[in-house]
Amino acid sequence: MTHSGTVFDIGYQRYTGPREGRNRARLAVFKDGVRTALGLGRGARAKVLPWFFIAVLGSIALVMALIAGAMDRLVGPEAADQLNLPSHTDYYGIASILFFVFAAVGAPELLCPDRREGVINLYLVRPLAGSDYVMSRWLAFFTVMLAVTWFPQAILLIGLTMGDPDPAAYLIANWLDIPRFLAAGAAFAAYTTSLALLTASFTTRRAYASVFLVGLFVITTPFTTGLASEIEGPAGQWISMFNLTNIPVHVNDVIFGEASVITRDAPAAAFSAPVLVGWYAAWTLVPAGILWFRYRRLTP
Amino acid sequence: MTDGVAPAIRVDHVSRWFGNVVAVSDVTFDVMPGITGLLGPNGAGKTTLLRMITGLAGTSNGTVTVFGEPVRNNPPLYRRMGVMSEHETVYGFMRGRDFVRMMGRLRGAADLDAQVDRAIELVDLADAQHRLMGTYSRGMRQRMRLAATLVHDPDILILDEPLNGADPRQRVHFQGLLRRLAAEGRTIVLSSHILEEVEQLADTVLLIVNGKLAASGGFRAIRAALDERPYHVRVVCDSPRRLAAAVVALDSVDAVNVDPDGAIVVLSRNVRGLQIELPRLAQLASVSLRRVEPLDDSLESVFGYLVER
Amino acid sequence: MRSVYVLTLRQLFGRWRLLIMTVLASMPVLFAMLTVRSIRAPSVQEFETVVFSAMLAGSISPLIALAIATAAFANEIEDRTLANLTLSPLPRWQIVVPKLLGAVTVAGPFIAISAIVTSHVAFLGDAAATFAVAGAALVGVVLYSSAFLWLGLVTTHAIGFGLLYIVLWEGFFSGFVSGVRLLSIRHYSIALMHGLDERRFAAANHLSLGVAITTSVIVLAGFLLLSIRRLRRMDVP
Repeated sequence: MTHSGTVFDIGYQRYTGPREGRNRARLAVFKDGVRTALGLGRGARAKVLPWFFIAVLGSIALVMALIAGAMDRLVGPEAADQLNLPSHTDYYGIASILFFVFAAVGAPELLCPDRREGVINLYLVRPLAGSDYVMSRWLAFFTVMLAVTWFPQAILLIGLTMGDPDPAAYLIANWLDIPRFLAAGAAFAAYTTSLALLTASFTTRRAYASVFLVGLFVITTPFTTGLASEIEGPAGQWISMFNLTNIPVHVNDVIFGEASVITRDAPAAAFSAPVLVGWYAAWTLVPAGILWFRYRRLTP
Repeated sequence: MTDGVAPAIRVDHVSRWFGNVVAVSDVTFDVMPGITGLLGPNGAGKTTLLRMITGLAGTSNGTVTVFGEPVRNNPPLYRRMGVMSEHETVYGFMRGRDFVRMMGRLRGAADLDAQVDRAIELVDLADAQHRLMGTYSRGMRQRMRLAATLVHDPDILILDEPLNGADPRQRVHFQGLLRRLAAEGRTIVLSSHILEEVEQLADTVLLIVNGKLAASGGFRAIRAALDERPYHVRVVCDSPRRLAAAVVALDSVDAVNVDPDGAIVVLSRNVRGLQIELPRLAQLASVSLRRVEPLDDSLESVFGYLVER
Repeated sequence: MRSVYVLTLRQLFGRWRLLIMTVLASMPVLFAMLTVRSIRAPSVQEFETVVFSAMLAGSISPLIALAIATAAFANEIEDRTLANLTLSPLPRWQIVVPKLLGAVTVAGPFIAISAIVTSHVAFLGDAAATFAVAGAALVGVVLYSSAFLWLGLVTTHAIGFGLLYIVLWEGFFSGFVSGVRLLSIRHYSIALMHGLDERRFAAANHLSLGVAITTSVIVLAGFLLLSIRRLRRMDVP
């Protein structure tokens, strides 16, 4: 006896509403990237690292502002100016290593787990090209880095303004600092995002990417600084250009028109602005380009 | 404790919660030698319960004792226990035989090479034992893991979803193996959400639903215990409506449905009674019976009822 | 125990990993060679601050130890193979110690060779100095590895926390706050280097050799005990 097959109507209905396209998919990947980087929606443990970093970065700015305010009150504003205390110009130089570590720890979370667990295929079967995916991730991390680089500077600004005996006058005199630190912060964000994501695209274990990145930054610094100080002349200057932690700081100097505390003595500072900015652009755009190429040809 | 034989595993008022989520709630049972099946829908708490039985996870409340000793933080007990988790990862860079050998050594197997040979024979992987495990198929990996679980000849075997991805031939082989092992006096606890496996293998079934022990015992006994639900019996005959009219008159019959294909389904609380009455009624009504089959005398239906409750 | 040790060695050896570690470890060597060739041998002060403190003990050694030692347990947890080890009658310390030894066996040679060659080049073949530098660097690796072994057991974000520790604690604070030196592995290393070859490395404001040795032993034992304790109490995936 053969049984005929029956299909039961258990209420399953096809989706008949509007279907959004690529842009919606890109936006979704972007949003998810931002949430992942900040540990949102993933339990308390995931939030500890990123927010701790943000707290430390903010504290540094706060301390700088407090010192400036204290000095103003102790010795008067003119004398305090003479002391050349660290301010907006110097912040990025001082805190650069922390930004790099933040990127080293956070960026791999956006790319590595998806490839390791195979989830990337789920993304690619949607109306989403590989390049869309990676550019959305880049934008997501860039956005987070922007917030992370601008937030402490904002604190510093508020602190310096409030600390000054005449806040309004201070703001009027120093309003140029604002677009400057916004631009410098953006430069930092773009650089760290490109390098960190490119490194993350080469491995599926987050740990390796993080360690390699930090190794790259942390080790080239004393290496190139030491070498450059020994070797004089143009050779030394070019060696100093390979100090990866300083590349965006030089751009920061160009924007602010004066050398920061950290890069004042770097041989590379002797180069002209176009060279420094061009070098920075190379180190930001080329990694981004390679990243785009690597993901462009991915298929599910 | 039944007839003086101590239980191999005793689970006593065990609960486990993770923050606000209660995974296992006040479960108590004894496991005797033989094959015990742990059954339940996904997310019911089977794996958590098994992990507590093996000592991999601690309990939030209650104790688990194996051979009379607490299992948690008691490494020497693992000489007598073999555990196979549901995770399929193996060391891809190792050869199969080396893996089994290493596990045997870690667990203190006596005559190591002989034991390894025996274990690999048992799972029928002697030809592939010198290949890297990274090259194995999924089924081969499962079997090699099983060999590693058996190599030290444990008295207790705890297997979490052991037939994941096994093809029918492997399934039969495996069932035969387990029955042999159990017949030698071992205690085997097997977890699965595949009903046929448990139905065919287990002497005792533990049903876990929503973290609670919903039923335990032989599955027929469990079924009988669920007496508020009637049994479904399907009868194929030449005059369904005439037979239906006769059958519905019985006290123990709750309802009679007529299927579109001409069979009738009788819902009755008393199958034995129905067994006796049905031929008599058929004869009286001059209906010839072609086929009588119970529709739910299987673990699946028991399971279904319990999950719905 | 040997099984666990050999298993760890096999797990931690990987082509890319070894390549990256070779690159990292050769940086101080290159630096020493380039400076010696171009001008002169670096002064003791320079060597100590730039090569040893910043590079060897401060960044390369902890980074290599971080990558290797956290992987020793963290990879097993991620791959869910740790149960293979814990479901055995081995006492837990017989799982932790071989894991540490395995990590040190993989990470150690890189640091040792780097330290030996660097100081050989920088100090023009002085054996005592070479011994001091290499010995101190190795002790650093062992201590860092014990700390990161525990970290890998405790959290899935071991690398992140480890990096924070390296950059903020060892890199930043211990340079400024002298009390922190008592709790800084980098400074134990430096103190050991001083103590092992007092002729050349006259100690300035550093920990004494005795204090460094004592604290090193305490730190090593402490992290081993913490790891054992964690292994007992954790839910093994």
